[in-house]
Amino acid sequence: MRLWRFKGLSMTYFAGIDIGSLTTEVVILDSNADMLSYSINLTGADCNEAVDQALGQALSRAGLSRDQLSFIVATGYGRVTIPFSDKKITEISCHGTSAHHLFPDTETVIDIGGQDSKVIRIDKEGKVLDFTMNDKCAAGTGRFLEVMAGAFRVSLEDFGQLSLKAEREIPISSVCTVFAESEVISLIAQNQAREDIIRGLHSSVVNRIWNMVQTVGVHGAVTMSGGVAKNRGVVVLMEEKLGKPIHIHTEPQIMGALGAALLAKRHFLQEK
Amino acid sequence: MNEKNKDIFSRIESYYTDYGQRAKELKNEGIKIIGYMCSLIPLEIITAAGCVPFRMRGDVHEPITKGDINLETIACPFYRSCFDLSVKGKYDFLDGSIVAHGCDSMARTYAVWKYTLDLPYSHFVNLPHTISESSREFFRAGLNTFRKSLGKFAGKEISDDDLAEAIGLYNENRDKVRALYELRKPDPPIVSGTEITKILTVGASLPVAEANKLFDEVLEELRQRKESPFKKVRRIMIDGACMDNIELVKLIEDLGGNVVVDTLCNGTRDNLPHTDTGNDPLSALADRYLDKINCPRTYRENKEQDLQKELESRFGDIGFFARESKADAAILYVYKYCDPFGFEVPVRKAYFESIKLPLLYLEDEYSAGTIGQLKTRIQAFLEMIQ
Repeated sequence: MRLWRFKGLSMTYFAGIDIGSLTTEVVILDSNADMLSYSINLTGADCNEAVDQALGQALSRAGLSRDQLSFIVATGYGRVTIPFSDKKITEISCHGTSAHHLFPDTETVIDIGGQDSKVIRIDKEGKVLDFTMNDKCAAGTGRFLEVMAGAFRVSLEDFGQLSLKAEREIPISSVCTVFAESEVISLIAQNQAREDIIRGLHSSVVNRIWNMVQTVGVHGAVTMSGGVAKNRGVVVLMEEKLGKPIHIHTEPQIMGALGAALLAKRHFLQEK
Repeated sequence: MNEKNKDIFSRIESYYTDYGQRAKELKNEGIKIIGYMCSLIPLEIITAAGCVPFRMRGDVHEPITKGDINLETIACPFYRSCFDLSVKGKYDFLDGSIVAHGCDSMARTYAVWKYTLDLPYSHFVNLPHTISESSREFFRAGLNTFRKSLGKFAGKEISDDDLAEAIGLYNENRDKVRALYELRKPDPPIVSGTEITKILTVGASLPVAEANKLFDEVLEELRQRKESPFKKVRRIMIDGACMDNIELVKLIEDLGGNVVVDTLCNGTRDNLPHTDTGNDPLSALADRYLDKINCPRTYRENKEQDLQKELESRFGDIGFFARESKADAAILYVYKYCDPFGFEVPVRKAYFESIKLPLLYLEDEYSAGTIGQLKTRIQAFLEMIQ
């Protein structure tokens, strides 16, 4: 029992934990919804260990201890594995919430994570109206880009920049990650410029997501979240498709955890 | 719960988990068991022949392995799972199997089924794809051929009286299913979607007279629930093909939605329509299976030339059941490679939009391996409609 809750001694604090396939993020907010700290760690093979590590880091950065947290919301595919969370909410609601909080004119959220991608339509209050997710394969996700960057032996950071330097685009016909990788290897063997191939790979991801965007429809301003939003190659191509700029937070990877922390605050106040 | 009725629910559980146990017993008594997989098979004819129709199920927990040696993976995963289980010996007690011209997977692989399993009896029910006078005539004649062929196999000439009697039993069965659905109408419902799925699945593995008795006992027990044991949460409708396992419904209910109605093959859509009585029984059966079952495999001509009216004439039953059960939202659940439903997804979505029922469309494999993926989508949908 966190007794201090009822004593009105001090500020209340909220945590959002997003356990994704690749990384686990934690965001800690105070009662004004100001972000005190965040952390990003690899999820690895043990969700609980990753959560302990990420939460410990974020708490120490905020100068808090775990029992000072009033409400914890877990999200992401590993949300079910956290025994101590007060509530488990899907990443879809969380990304919608954080996009609305950071960029209130947002009506469409494109989240491209390590394992899946989503397009979410929200109303002017940040409530989810509709959404779509990619099917099970890695096409159109961060994993696809990661595997392809591996084929070129370049870092993910450089990968997006190389795409921007392309003179032309070599289309990649396979959407399957495994087949696309062999397609890339044969293009490399034909001495095609790597920038052009890389541009084609980025287009492949964007085309895949674009189909999902059209299913949900483009409404209002668009916000991108998830690790792939750090990749300029993807963002530039997506902005070309949309014909307008996209809102991106300086750390798009923590948008799920931020949304979870915001919802933690909301649920805490509702339940109080 | 009194002892007798406690026994009923454990019997249902046992029939559900050890699916086919009653059919095996009957087989040992010398009764012929005829397998089928589609609601378009006129079960009345099988019952009238003195045989027991047995609805074959797939198993979402059993990976498809042996079946793929003979059946191409272009067939739908539900059908492949049924075939896989058959090849692995799960349905070795069958004396025959009947395949209808339901979907492409069924029609185009009838021969694979027939020659691989090599059962003593097999028959293909050639159901026309359009509704007209000539197709009714054609279908009635086809049913007559089926009646003669099965009668010969069963060693019994099937008379009109036999048919009329079987029709009566099935109409009774449909009334009992209707009564079960009535118990889903209160908010919260008296009976859960998971329970209903189990009850209906089990019913399709029994002789119709036994299923009727079982449903009566279940109804008696359920009516003793003065208060609903469930929470008052969002009321969900499921639309799609057949659902012979509880996984999806249970997932929705575990995540905090009540599944209160459906338009599924083994639910309202194909279970409820009655067969007319009093006239030529074969014509009445032809009419029921051709026209009264609103399966997307049958083409219904739009004479209105107006999309809105066409939507209403094709999918009005969905709206009817949604209104009647006060559904808050719906899930359209379609198996991958399901040709009748797959092609209809955009127009079904348009219909749900026209009746302003929030819809989640799920395309799935027939496999428990996708539960995690479905969980996020369903939970997000439930959060969305709160």
